[in-house]
Amino acid sequence: MKGYKIFGNVLRDLKLSPVLGNPGTTELPMLRDISNYVLTLHDGIAVGMADGIALWTRKPVLVNLHTDLGLGNAMAFLMTAARNHSPLIVTAGQQDQRHLAYEPLLSGNLTEMADNFAKYRTEVRKPDDIAYEIRKAYQIAEEPPRSPVFLSFPMDVMEAEGSYVYEDVARSTHNVMDEDDVIAVANAINDAKNPAVIFGSEIDEFDAFSEAMAFAEKLGCPVYSEPLGNRSSYPSDDPHYAGELYPAAALVDLDLMQYDLLLFIGSDLTLYPYTTDLILPGKRKIVIGLNNRRMIGETYRANPKIFLARILDLVHRKCNFRRSRDYMKLTDAVRDKKKMGQKYVSYRISKYFSDFTMVDEAISVSETLRHYFGYRPNGYFTARSGQIGWALPASLGIAMYNPKVVTVVGDGSLMYSIQALWTAKHYGIPLKLIVLENGGYNILRSYAMSYFPEISDAEYLRPEMDIESIVSSYGIDVRIADAELKELEWLRSGSDQKALIVKMDRSIPSMF
Amino acid sequence: MKILVVVPEFLPLDQIKAAVSTISSDLDVRNDTNFERSDAEILIVTTFTPVNAELLKKMPRLRFVQVASIGYDNVDLNAMKGNGIIVSNIPTASADSVAEHALSMVLSLLKDQRFLDSEIRSGRWPKITRSTDLMGKTFGIVGMGSIGRALASRLLPFKTAIIYYDIKRMSEAEEEEYGATYVDLNRLLSDADIVSVHVPLTETTRHLFNKSKFDLMKDGSIFINTSRGEVVVEKDLIEAIKKKGLRAGLDVFETEPPDPKSELLKLDNTILSPHIAGVTIESQMRFFKETIANVMRYMQGYEPNFRVA
Ligand SMILES: Cc1ncc(C[n+]2csc(CCOP(=O)(O)OP(=O)(O)O)c2C)c(N)n1
Repeated sequence: MKGYKIFGNVLRDLKLSPVLGNPGTTELPMLRDISNYVLTLHDGIAVGMADGIALWTRKPVLVNLHTDLGLGNAMAFLMTAARNHSPLIVTAGQQDQRHLAYEPLLSGNLTEMADNFAKYRTEVRKPDDIAYEIRKAYQIAEEPPRSPVFLSFPMDVMEAEGSYVYEDVARSTHNVMDEDDVIAVANAINDAKNPAVIFGSEIDEFDAFSEAMAFAEKLGCPVYSEPLGNRSSYPSDDPHYAGELYPAAALVDLDLMQYDLLLFIGSDLTLYPYTTDLILPGKRKIVIGLNNRRMIGETYRANPKIFLARILDLVHRKCNFRRSRDYMKLTDAVRDKKKMGQKYVSYRISKYFSDFTMVDEAISVSETLRHYFGYRPNGYFTARSGQIGWALPASLGIAMYNPKVVTVVGDGSLMYSIQALWTAKHYGIPLKLIVLENGGYNILRSYAMSYFPEISDAEYLRPEMDIESIVSSYGIDVRIADAELKELEWLRSGSDQKALIVKMDRSIPSMF
Repeated sequence: MKILVVVPEFLPLDQIKAAVSTISSDLDVRNDTNFERSDAEILIVTTFTPVNAELLKKMPRLRFVQVASIGYDNVDLNAMKGNGIIVSNIPTASADSVAEHALSMVLSLLKDQRFLDSEIRSGRWPKITRSTDLMGKTFGIVGMGSIGRALASRLLPFKTAIIYYDIKRMSEAEEEEYGATYVDLNRLLSDADIVSVHVPLTETTRHLFNKSKFDLMKDGSIFINTSRGEVVVEKDLIEAIKKKGLRAGLDVFETEPPDPKSELLKLDNTILSPHIAGVTIESQMRFFKETIANVMRYMQGYEPNFRVA
């Protein structure tokens, strides 16, 4: 059997379909037995879409890139997938090995290029290794912390003869937990005076919402969500929910000052502006999960879902925390209406799309949007890396499996992967895109206002363009929102490709 | 068409006479109902004059009662209905004035104005203050009629959160217009920093605010009543002021004027006014105009507006 047939067979057997990519000469040999190929018009968009699919389905997804050029183009997306813990199997073609010594066009050290963001990477040398390497890559990608892996396939490997034997991969649920660890943590909780819990994206990744809620109810303590998580961590309308931590060490310290034990469960601490070196100095910090980076505290490796289920009966009630209801949300939104401010826009979007999954790249509006929209299982996704241009492709990936997706992006962010609109239109992928037009890079202007006010109005922070024409040139239905944002109703309906431009308040939000 | 106008003594009789005479010359303006008989077909009254079966006996020709105020609990509606008499009130004219009055009491209490004013008058110059902001507070409105709504729309710029309770919930569009979140009464009382009452006096609202309700309120919160004195059990309020540090702004009382010996008059954290929230120079003019317009409507053979019976 020729190499490309083996490649086709193993992908079918592992149900690695569709294949997302953008091809070049080096990939043509390996694509001949691939039937479900989704073309993207930029290499990164393929990775972004695959990231969306992996987040939604929680399963490995295969991407095919064009040698070092495509891999290079997709690098930021690969980095985001790594931070998002998406199990992507990234493949690329490589020049024919027989003349690699001459460093021909389209050859390169691909595994070295992928080194930063792929936890396993190799170049396949012969047809017999194709299936073996893909199965291995699949299982490594799937092993928490989930992350991309990379395989390079020289052109000649696809032409040579080899054999293929069907073998399955482990379909593990990753129910990792150590009984002694649970008891140790339970003792720490029972000995504490005033603990607090910080849940993170792993709660959603491992489908542990109900376990998290039962634990919070039993403990009665306040629950925070990790700063800058990439997906939901705890239902925001639950009375134990005390809010989201800020991505700055000094502010985390301030928020958590009153507690003597901090339980980071399925959470991490992603920081943004520098404030101070030490995080929560002198406090007992216990970290439980499969993804965390072991930066703080005593780290226990466990799947949060089964850990929380197991510890429930071992802990006593500790606090009687119930957050007061936030009545300001509505009043604030109504007050914000006249200037088409963040709160009004977020309120309306959240209301119309309350039963949708949101993919958020609203940047300077994100925090407000999250506040109004809230967290729920598989209900909210964003890039953990801070990359912009991610949301549009990722949302298309999700929409291939779940048409009820709303994508909210800033006008600046939209332009980084705008040609994803072609893929949406061409393959008929549902798209409900909201573009928040504030005439520039407001988050950067906001940062500048705090630290470098002299450039807060700089021309290079205010790119403006005719978004309506750009989007409609892809054959997408575009409307401009009126003062009532009634077009959200139009956007919500149907499953074709639509975009709504919201001309927002242009004032610069204050950052710190 | 014969018109009888009964107004309390404290209102300017001449002015009213002049205004009403523009629509009819067959007019009698009095301060009381101590007459043997009146053949008037139209009766214009304020809330201070009881209109009941007894009065009806003396007014055999009466067909239309116009109450020149929002409240009309002085009118025995059953007796009127039984005799086919139409009753109208004037529901809008003083809503804005009452809303402003309620708001002024809230601000005055929050800003500790009574205390600061008296300090200066006593020759002192205080450097610290218990004054707090209205911004950021949760403002609870009980009763979302025209006054409640006038108040809510004024609160928006103050950056408060607004919650309300009413026996009838507003539509979603209305709630969004006022930025007001609907909650049940107990929830409102326990979550609000300020409670302002704007309900009519009915059998369900009579003594609605009693000890069990004041117990729900936050310590140090503010209670404003510009509706009717009888919706409050005054002794329970006095106790809550003393025990929970509640602050109160009252325009209405169980008995008006209150007993000079009432403890209410001795408390510091209260601000009082003599059932006058709706009475401003401007609102009186509006009442005149609306009252006259409605009576004219009736006289010209049209159905009067604002019918309550
Ligand atoms: C790939 C990439 N390039 C550049 C940046 C830097 N960056 C972060 S936010 C931003 C501007 C976002 O503008 P917009 O989407 O309009 O949102 P706004 O800040 O106006 O809310 C830029 C350029 C980035 N995060 N990622």
